[in-house]
Amino acid sequence: MIEVKNISKDFVSPKKYPGLKGAVKGLFSNEKVVKTAVDDISFSIRKGEIVGYIGSNGAGKSTTIKMMTGILTPTKGTCRVAGINPNQNRKENAKNIGVVFGQRTQLWWDLPLGESFTILKEIYDVPAEDFSARMDFLNDVLELQDFIDRPVRTLSLGQRMRADLGAALLHNPKVLYLDEPTIGLDLVVKDNIRRAIKQINEKYQTTVILTTHDIGDIEELCSRIIIIDEGKLIYDGSLANLKDTYGNKRKISMEIRQPWKLKELHLEETFGVGEDGCSTEFIEETNSFCVTFDKHRIQVPQVLSAVMEVTEVKDVQIQETELAQIVKEIYNHGTAEGR
Amino acid sequence: MNACKRYMRLYRVLAAQFFKTVMQSKVDFLMGLFGFFFTQIMGIAFLYLVFDQIPSLQGWTLDQLIFIYGFAQIPRGIDHLLTDNIWLVAWRLVLNGDFDRYMLRPMNIFFQIIAEKLQPDALGELLVGAILVVRSLAKGIVTVDAAHVVLFFVSVMAGALIYTSIKLFFAALAFWLKTSGPFLQVAYQMSDFAKYPTEIYAKGVRFLITWVIPFAFVAYLPASFFLKSGAGAGVIGFEWVIAIVFWCIAYYVFNRGIRVYESAGN
Amino acid sequence: MGRLLKIYMPFASNELKRQLAYRGAFYLFIITSLFSSFISYYLWMAVYGSSGQGVLGGLTQNEMVVYIFMVYVTSSIVTVSLSTWVSDDVVQGTVAMNLIKPIDYRLSLIAKALGRVSFQFLAPAVFVWIGLEIYKVTVLDMAPVSVMGVVLYLFSSGMSFLLFVLFDFCFGMIAFFTTYIFGLRMVKEALLGFLTGQLIPISFFPEAVQRVFGFLPFSSMIYTPVMIYLGKYTGRTLAFMLLRQGIWVLALYGLGSLIWKMVTKRLVVLGG
Repeated sequence: MIEVKNISKDFVSPKKYPGLKGAVKGLFSNEKVVKTAVDDISFSIRKGEIVGYIGSNGAGKSTTIKMMTGILTPTKGTCRVAGINPNQNRKENAKNIGVVFGQRTQLWWDLPLGESFTILKEIYDVPAEDFSARMDFLNDVLELQDFIDRPVRTLSLGQRMRADLGAALLHNPKVLYLDEPTIGLDLVVKDNIRRAIKQINEKYQTTVILTTHDIGDIEELCSRIIIIDEGKLIYDGSLANLKDTYGNKRKISMEIRQPWKLKELHLEETFGVGEDGCSTEFIEETNSFCVTFDKHRIQVPQVLSAVMEVTEVKDVQIQETELAQIVKEIYNHGTAEGR
Repeated sequence: MNACKRYMRLYRVLAAQFFKTVMQSKVDFLMGLFGFFFTQIMGIAFLYLVFDQIPSLQGWTLDQLIFIYGFAQIPRGIDHLLTDNIWLVAWRLVLNGDFDRYMLRPMNIFFQIIAEKLQPDALGELLVGAILVVRSLAKGIVTVDAAHVVLFFVSVMAGALIYTSIKLFFAALAFWLKTSGPFLQVAYQMSDFAKYPTEIYAKGVRFLITWVIPFAFVAYLPASFFLKSGAGAGVIGFEWVIAIVFWCIAYYVFNRGIRVYESAGN
Repeated sequence: MGRLLKIYMPFASNELKRQLAYRGAFYLFIITSLFSSFISYYLWMAVYGSSGQGVLGGLTQNEMVVYIFMVYVTSSIVTVSLSTWVSDDVVQGTVAMNLIKPIDYRLSLIAKALGRVSFQFLAPAVFVWIGLEIYKVTVLDMAPVSVMGVVLYLFSSGMSFLLFVLFDFCFGMIAFFTTYIFGLRMVKEALLGFLTGQLIPISFFPEAVQRVFGFLPFSSMIYTPVMIYLGKYTGRTLAFMLLRQGIWVLALYGLGSLIWKMVTKRLVVLGG
């Protein structure tokens, strides 16, 4: 369904100099700064897949999505969506895709939601019978009828997101791009949105690509994830595989009384593991001592007792590794192998 | 043909929506209308005061100048009514990335932009223009025959297209500059020069408003054709040539701009 | 006085800094605002050429050139969109916030306006002014303005500035009563163009109209300082004109205070 081949995007901006003198200098200088937002990325996505597209802020997620939707022209490389090059054939491509940018609505701010749908029906040339059938389905999964008569600007964030999702699906697109679809929503609404995405995917075999920072989105929706960092693709594979490889870490942070005694502590030797089995970190401001370790090889009480032997502990927190941490770990290790 | 029908249908839907919102705030609408109307009336009052001192201005009578002034308002008003949203492209849609939404829909982008907004304030300009043209008819200073009536509408359309092209060209600079509002403002304001016969200006100014930012072709030059003993019909043909050339340039630059559009957040 | 400066100067200097930051856009607006001066210039040159008379409305052709461009200089010292700030504050509800602070809302606006006009004056107007003087002496063969003339002009313009901002404050108060001030502002600007002498010297109006204008504050805003610059007022007339400006400043100050009192009462009642 989607073929992305060696795609890159550079942003060129004039060089800025600091200070007032710099501002004047900038007026006459011709120097340019090139920032490569996406660097030689390739992947392909089959029909009906739900793919999580992950990376930290500024990693190039949105840039990639914008190239696939035809908003941005790639500097190098090509991409095809349902056999169409979005840049050479923007209008044809637009018929095949639906897009939701979580931060920004595609709807008409001052119009009642229902009117927005009427306009979209004309824009996408949806036949009348399809339109009513689709609206029934969308009402079912997104419960739009509760606020269909209200102007978009009066909707709550959750309602607006449901409305936007509905608007993106009205013409039954082959591919659905979701950029941060659950950002800022409460748990119940998040759950609704996720369920709706799943249902749509099952019913229409819609291919879904979503970017998110929310581990829940990934775990509930995505069978496959792609991770990019600083514009480069660093992981492309199943979620299960990723968790097996990186998700066996656990982290304990302890607020301690006698930080100077930490020198006496040699956890790696105590447990007989290498650096990837156990690592430590001390944060001076809060006096917290953090231990990250392999949960299959070391147990929590073992760590606690080892630390408590050398120092008094005021407070303990135990964290499962979150996807965000896994991702961070992958960044540190460079490229990960996908299976 | 089918696509054309679709565009027409969509435009109707959007326009109907727009009128609904306007009707919800009738007072706002009437105040805006009155504001524009009043500004134009003051422009006419100014001419009256000036002509209190002189019988004619370089051979032009007060009535003739009022016709030129009124005629100029019509293409300006039409463009103002239909394409006001272009200003937003120049000021902020490119800058804040809201331009994205036009790129995501399977329709012509320029069409989407202008279809999204009608500017009812423009009716104030159209009203003044119509009144002044009718007044000139009553005074018997303009030629009235079938050819002139037809060419009147032909000329007004070309004039509106020239306005739109100039706006589109300067708005398109936003794709490179992020915001081009101030430039558009300067260019648009130059239309004020065209309210009077261009002969009163120095050569450089005349060249500028005739060939570079061709507002002279919107107002003074075609208006002189409709006045008795005025220019030949060729000027209307020339107005169309100018309109098409400038439209092509503007539309080309606009499309080039779309290719370098960087969206927001980078 | 010193304390007052300490409190309100930051409003002025902030505005000046803000304008400097956007100077690129601002310069383009300057060009636009000079357009209308040049259109006037060419139009009047054609009018004098067609009239066959040396003096129109009490001004020679050369004096008209000075008039047109000194109107430009004077409006950059005098006019500022203070009413827009008021209506923005009303719409965003920041006026209520200003009531809590121990500062005078009107004074803070006037300080901000001062920052704006000093930028307008320093950046383009002063150069237009100098250019005009050079043009006067070299091309028009007129005598340069005297030091006394400059002093009187600047003094009168200062009064005009106060007059204008105090008036515009009152106008901005309309925002409390209607949400839609845009159309009204257009009407105000079109009217002011006439009443202040910005578009055409007031001496061009019929006698009766001129007399009516004499009872309004507007001609004191631009026409008076420009005529002083042209040296049209001397002796008792000059004193009378300056006195009239002063009286209007006081009157509009009083009117503004009155309206403000009314409005804030309303604000408290409505809980805005």
